[in-house]
Amino acid sequence: MLPVAHVGHYLWVFYVIPILIVVGAIVRNAIAQRRLSRDETGESSTARGGRFTKRD
Amino acid sequence: MTLPLAHALASRQDLPIPAWLFAWAASIVLIVSFFALSAAWRKPQFEDEHRQPLSERFSAALLSLPAEILCGAIGVFLLGVAVYAGLRGTEAPDRNFALTFIFVTCWLGFPFFSAFLGDLFRPFNPWRAVGRAAGGAFARIAGQRPAHLAYPERLGRWPAAVGLLAFVWIEVVYGRTSIVSVDIEPHAVAVAALVYSAYTLAMMAVFGAEKWCDRGEAFSVYFGMFGRLGIFGARDGRLYRRRPFSAATGWAVVPGSAAVVIASIAATSFDGAQDGAFKEAIEKTFEWFTDRGVGLTTGLRLTDTIFMLLTFAAAVGVYMLGVRGMRTVPGAPSFKQLRTGFAHTLIPIALAYLVAHYFSFFVFQEQAQFGYLLSDPLGTGHTDLFGTVSNEVDYKLLSANAIWYVQVAALVIGHVIGLMLAHDRALVYWPDYRKATASQYWMLAVMVAFTCFGLYLLSVANG
Repeated sequence: MLPVAHVGHYLWVFYVIPILIVVGAIVRNAIAQRRLSRDETGESSTARGGRFTKRD
Repeated sequence: MTLPLAHALASRQDLPIPAWLFAWAASIVLIVSFFALSAAWRKPQFEDEHRQPLSERFSAALLSLPAEILCGAIGVFLLGVAVYAGLRGTEAPDRNFALTFIFVTCWLGFPFFSAFLGDLFRPFNPWRAVGRAAGGAFARIAGQRPAHLAYPERLGRWPAAVGLLAFVWIEVVYGRTSIVSVDIEPHAVAVAALVYSAYTLAMMAVFGAEKWCDRGEAFSVYFGMFGRLGIFGARDGRLYRRRPFSAATGWAVVPGSAAVVIASIAATSFDGAQDGAFKEAIEKTFEWFTDRGVGLTTGLRLTDTIFMLLTFAAAVGVYMLGVRGMRTVPGAPSFKQLRTGFAHTLIPIALAYLVAHYFSFFVFQEQAQFGYLLSDPLGTGHTDLFGTVSNEVDYKLLSANAIWYVQVAALVIGHVIGLMLAHDRALVYWPDYRKATASQYWMLAVMVAFTCFGLYLLSVANG
């Protein structure tokens, strides 16, 4: 039997969902930003390396 | 009068949608406001108060010495009446002038009205009036101004933060005599008021009345904090109108200010959760203490004190997480600077919590204050000073739904203003609006967390 009588005890979950969505979006955005800046750094170092090789 | 219970709603609301959906809607409002701010608000607007002096005559009349003496005398008289009523009046809390006057009319009235009009407590502050009068008398007799010790700047507003928590502790912890009711005795409140008066006057003698009011006197700091949101201020003997909320930006530079505003949020949250969200946990902890031989009253006070401190710690934690998050954005100032620099953004939230939790209580209890309590302050039943002793509280003045909508509106508006102040401050630290916006993702999370928590507390308390 489902504990329906106690469902009221878990209503707080509904109040936590918006917080989790916002925090999740921030973390996802932070990770994406970090990845992007890492890729940009990688690309620029490859580009420098490329020029170096060409000159050699 | 069962103080904290009385401000809960009289009946369950009949809402068109579940209460938790309001939390979702409020979160959406905050998110939309956040993106609107980042798109359209690219220069700080609140760093300058944009003062516009009011007419010279008006300023001179309101700030004149006779007006100051009159306001101070009113403050001292009303404090005297409250203390006398507490000491000599009835022990029935709902019939004694002292409790409603201190815990409702002053404690809630000054923040509500100061938030619109500026600091209203300052002219009526009874301790400031006595301190200044004593200082003036000393100067006249001794022929020199009283010498004061230099206030330790490191202490900042910490004494006020502690005083604030102590006041709330007396109301919701000390006054709680059983797990279901709070019946604080007027006599205890009067004694506490006398002890606090002696302490405050002693501190004023040591550090000076103005200095202590600005830093250590709990009520001056607390009401003054809300007054910073208001549109009127006074400087150099002149009243002026200023941009709303702009005076708040400079409030938190003094150490301990963040603790004051967080203590305010935590105190209201704990009061709201004590008989709602935290009820079961409090009961279990209370049983744990009593099972181990701790007395009933001591166990209850111990339990409530622990939960009150935990609420404070949780509120500090949420704010610190937001600050820690901002620190990750390139170009961020130091953690300490961010912690201080954004503390004022919590003032509208503290006000929103106050309105949401106590609005109905204030409306109902003020009918008693200006009705039977004014005519019969001692509650003896033998006095009718203004012919209003038979006036009763009309609990039908506000419907349960109306109260709920006011509560939701207060929380949403308070948090949107908080978000706005935070965005404005971020533009000072990160002139590049893109970085400012990135830093404010974390404050958005803080605001959404406080909004949802506030609505959860209310929904449980109201249910």
